[in-house]
Amino acid sequence: MADPLLRLDDVEQSYGDERVLDGISFEMDRQDVQVLIGPSGSGKSTILRCINRLVEIDDGDIELDGDSIFTMDENDLRRQVGMVFQDFNLFAHLTAIENVTLGLKHVLDMDDEAATEKAERQLEQVGLLDQRDSYPAELSGGQKQRVGIARALAMDPKLMLFDEPTSALDPELIGEVLEVMRDLADQGMTMLVVTHEMGFAREAATDIMFLDDGRIVEHGPPEQLFEAPEQERTAEFLERLTALHGGIHG
Amino acid sequence: MADRDRTPGGVLKLLAFATFWGWLVVRWVNDWTGGILLPVGEPLLPVDTITAIGATFAGTPIGGFFETLAFIAPFLPRLAGGVWLTVILTVGGIALGFVIAVPLAATRVYGHYTRYVALAYIELIRGTPLLAQLFVLYYGTTLSIVIRELPGIGQGIVPPQAVWVALIGFTINSAAYQAEYIRGAIQSVDPGQLRAARAIGLDQLSGIRYVVMPQALRYAIPGWSNELIYLIKYSSLAAFITVPELFNRANSIASSNFRYTTLFVTAGLIYLCIVLTASNIMSRVEDAVAIPGLSVSEGR
Repeated sequence: MADPLLRLDDVEQSYGDERVLDGISFEMDRQDVQVLIGPSGSGKSTILRCINRLVEIDDGDIELDGDSIFTMDENDLRRQVGMVFQDFNLFAHLTAIENVTLGLKHVLDMDDEAATEKAERQLEQVGLLDQRDSYPAELSGGQKQRVGIARALAMDPKLMLFDEPTSALDPELIGEVLEVMRDLADQGMTMLVVTHEMGFAREAATDIMFLDDGRIVEHGPPEQLFEAPEQERTAEFLERLTALHGGIHG
Repeated sequence: MADRDRTPGGVLKLLAFATFWGWLVVRWVNDWTGGILLPVGEPLLPVDTITAIGATFAGTPIGGFFETLAFIAPFLPRLAGGVWLTVILTVGGIALGFVIAVPLAATRVYGHYTRYVALAYIELIRGTPLLAQLFVLYYGTTLSIVIRELPGIGQGIVPPQAVWVALIGFTINSAAYQAEYIRGAIQSVDPGQLRAARAIGLDQLSGIRYVVMPQALRYAIPGWSNELIYLIKYSSLAAFITVPELFNRANSIASSNFRYTTLFVTAGLIYLCIVLTASNIMSRVEDAVAIPGLSVSEGR
């Protein structure tokens, strides 16, 4: 098992004339928690969407568990890669538990009973079993995002992608979501996280990548990026970020 | 909410609906069975009785009302028979149209090249008069001849071919309008939800089926109710391809006694009762399927 779980090899992606990703290469081992930071428009979210093929790349290759994702069935790939969205995207007409069982029933073909049992375990893991029959509109932002995490986890993914999971939350609700994510990291889930929560990055990340203009400017363990960044740009960005978000939720 | 309405107004409303539909159902069943209660075509309330009651109010507006009632009573059985066709054409047209409208709307939103086919259909149908469409179907195609040759058509309570042509016409027409209401509703469902469905491995079609449509169809109900109400009244256009529905019968009765105003006001009141029933049912449906915490009508 020397293979990395995820490998991006010189990935390029453009929207029209605008180059969004300009040669992105990195690897993630199992149980890694990699945090992607960078100014808005730097391509962080696009990287995540390329990995589960919600966005198609123009050039390069992406491998999951040794296989190029472009040789896999699209839906097969997505089953193995969980995604958590900035604005939750819960299914508005379904209760919390139905949000989780939908994929179990219609993607994994589980029967009602097995799906419900599994979904209950998943909701319990994010601390929301008592809200199993609430509809999204009846939940707080933090609860919604935890349901979103449970929904993705229920598919037993090999890799979890988090796309700014706390950016749409009121400050007092961020903590409960980060706590779930920390637990997940402790349990050994491989996670690729776009976030500006520096407390989380410092504490939970194995690696941090700083992205600017579609390129990885600097990539290293948190101590290196926080204490002794090699690049001037990294230092500037982190300084601004720390001033805004630093330490609050750490 | 869908709870029983026990206010005096609610009870009165229920009573009015029960009387109206009770009258129709008794009438229909009696006439289909060849008159198990009273001879086919004989009014439920004898004209003599109405005249007798009216006589006690002679000279007052109430007396006038009973006079009119006594005049119209003998025609009510024929009008009730027309209502049956009006209901069949409306319910059949909206239901069959709905079956076509859902895939049509989905194609219009999600199709690649097929979206232009859907668009062409919708614009062609919405852009031409319903009456012209009925004429083309009835007089311009062999449809009515084909239907006439089918077994059972026009026998017993199976309506004759013109009714079937009208039903097909209303289905085709209503599908286009319903598709537009549903398209708008589909587009009001946040696309992020479909993205999330795709992200857990559902294919596009399943995502539409399990995530987008259940919401879109709820959001479409108010507009869709509108279409139902339009169709109830547009069904009168079937009169022009010889279907003896409500308007047709009112018109032909009036042409023999020249009491057009009385007949058309009566027909109008019957349409009104049907429309009120439909809009009441639809608002109950809307409440019954509302998503908790999201309902548009809640807290209004």
